[in-house]
Amino acid sequence: MKSLILGRYFPNDSIIHRLDARAKLVAALYFIGLLFFIDHGLGYLFVGLFTLGVMYLTKIRLSVFIKGVRPLIFLILFAAMMRVLFTGGGEVFVSWGPFTISSQGLWVGLFTFMRFILIIFISTVLTLSTKPVDLTDAINALLKPLRKLGVPVDDFALMLSISLRFIPNLLDETQRVMDAQRARGVIFGEGTIVEQMKKLVPIVLPLFASSLNRAEEMADVMDVKNYQSGEKRTHFRQLTWHTSDSIALLMMVGLTAVVIVVNYTMV
Amino acid sequence: MQSKRTLFLIEVAIFTAFALVLDLLPFLSFRIWAQGGSVSFAMIPIFIVAFRWGLKGGLLSGFLYGTLQIATGTAWIMHPIQGALDYPIAFTVLGVAGLFAPVVQRALKDNNHKLFAGYLALGVLAGISLRFVSHYLAGVVFFESLIDGMNIWVYSLVYNGSYLLPAYLINIIVIGYLFIKRPKLMLGESKDKQQAA
Repeated sequence: MKSLILGRYFPNDSIIHRLDARAKLVAALYFIGLLFFIDHGLGYLFVGLFTLGVMYLTKIRLSVFIKGVRPLIFLILFAAMMRVLFTGGGEVFVSWGPFTISSQGLWVGLFTFMRFILIIFISTVLTLSTKPVDLTDAINALLKPLRKLGVPVDDFALMLSISLRFIPNLLDETQRVMDAQRARGVIFGEGTIVEQMKKLVPIVLPLFASSLNRAEEMADVMDVKNYQSGEKRTHFRQLTWHTSDSIALLMMVGLTAVVIVVNYTMV
Repeated sequence: MQSKRTLFLIEVAIFTAFALVLDLLPFLSFRIWAQGGSVSFAMIPIFIVAFRWGLKGGLLSGFLYGTLQIATGTAWIMHPIQGALDYPIAFTVLGVAGLFAPVVQRALKDNNHKLFAGYLALGVLAGISLRFVSHYLAGVVFFESLIDGMNIWVYSLVYNGSYLLPAYLINIIVIGYLFIKRPKLMLGESKDKQQAA
């Protein structure tokens, strides 16, 4: 496996990396939700600075974060422009047909821009600082209440970790089959859609067949080891909750308080 | 003696991993739009699971795929509802193709290729149509939060249609070809059963 890295995990040793995956996931989801309730510039300034602080704490270069924004920047700018052009109110600078550029509109456009950038930054912090395996464990932990409704959460968790575990193997295998095809003169990434589809079949077919065999062998092994779906399992990797995780969640409560105060006192 | 449930769980997991691999490999997808929305082959393994294991397998594989995209950080989420619609929901609904699993399998067993292709096309169409609806609504939710009274409905329709329509044709052709070449893929017969027969 050469240049293909799974996910965007960026190994590093920082406070943010060491936080529990569950705390990070909950905090990130909560933060994104909170962003939709801010309606004052000061609120955005505050959460913006908070985000920059968190990014700084990951000890990852800013350029890595900027890279995450790049594919979406046009969509974000377009969205912000729309907000500017279709929001009236305040001092009107330009008015042309249905479009207006007003002071109110410029503010709303700026808020929209900020909100999207912050969503991307904070979710980038999450995925850069958390291993996919830890993140799936965290997702599983959050889904646990569904167990009471009869949802097979543990089976799902098992499947998530098997999938993650096999992605590198499958990538390897795919590369090998593609190399074998290249050796026979096939060039990938060229030609019409129909031509590319034809090249796909000889790659996919052996891979499917080997995946099926592998699944079967693995199921045999698990049966031999007496795996019972539905039984309580213990885990090799354990997520541990520290004081710093509770502090991280408390900071979310603090941010909420700031946003509420700013929204109600500033007009 | 093999527990069918264990095999089911593992097969769905490995095929879903395979879906992610097909999406990750740069040569194997055509990016039409910068913000995702690519015509990749990721749906093929999900449909294969759906036709092998029926509705339950299809839905599970799709949901797993959507969740994996979020866990590996390849998902683009800009709005909570849009995120849910674009990832877990959009891929889960692909699994409805599994409703056609019994008829597709019977047609293949009877060597009735015309009927087989017809049911296969219907199943894939059902899955992709629902995925389309899900992305379409996600697009509307996303833009509704920005603009009032613009033709967002049309925009979302054109954008999502532009990559799902070619994806539909590609999926039918590739899956049909795979199954006709290797009926074993579809019928889900284990090694033991074949040896016994």
